[in-house]
Amino acid sequence: MIEYIQSALLIISAVLIIIAAVGFVTLPKNTKNAVYARIHIVGIFDVACIIAMIGLGQYLLAGIYFIIAPFTAHAIANAYWKKEDRENNLDLVTVEVEPDYDNPFIHPKDKMQVFESENSEKLKADDRFSVTTLEIDEGE
Amino acid sequence: MDILFISKYIVVIALIIMMLAALRASAYKSTSMGLLGSSVVVVAFAMALLVGGDLYNLGFYKDISLALILFGFVGTVAFAGVLGGEDK
Repeated sequence: MIEYIQSALLIISAVLIIIAAVGFVTLPKNTKNAVYARIHIVGIFDVACIIAMIGLGQYLLAGIYFIIAPFTAHAIANAYWKKEDRENNLDLVTVEVEPDYDNPFIHPKDKMQVFESENSEKLKADDRFSVTTLEIDEGE
Repeated sequence: MDILFISKYIVVIALIIMMLAALRASAYKSTSMGLLGSSVVVVAFAMALLVGGDLYNLGFYKDISLALILFGFVGTVAFAGVLGGEDK
């Protein structure tokens, strides 16, 4: 009976590995974020390997690989994001946020620029108060 | 024939297909794809050694497989750290 369970686990892992291999190669190159998608596909391969290890009776190895596989995927994705994706696609770095004009504690940049422009109503109002300076002649 | 014996061979064939796919993918433009492909090849080879050792009752294959998985992980993370560099 155990033999059949082991065989079923091995065959399931083999099917998953073949599906991952086909997906790994046939994913179109021009797809957006193709590297992240391939890292995702490798996750399936990792799980298939863990299932095969369990089927072979290597539980400790399966446990170790279960722990270290996500670290590998994260390290590769992080390196790609930092050095290739972010530098080649600069539009990813700039994030457009819609300013909240109703919030009294937030002063959006464009709103402040209107206030500080020469035609601003606020500056015209401030012109009513003029500052005078006394000229002191040191000779006297 | 024993079904367990056949299924082990099926796994080895699937792992060889995966290794070839990873080798093809590691030749893509991005450096990260090379890193990803090499990491997959190492794990697939370790897994094939594990199955092979089980097929022919070779105990030391298991040790080699464990070493490959651990050092493959260390190498991948180290190279990814160098590739990523310091955060700006």
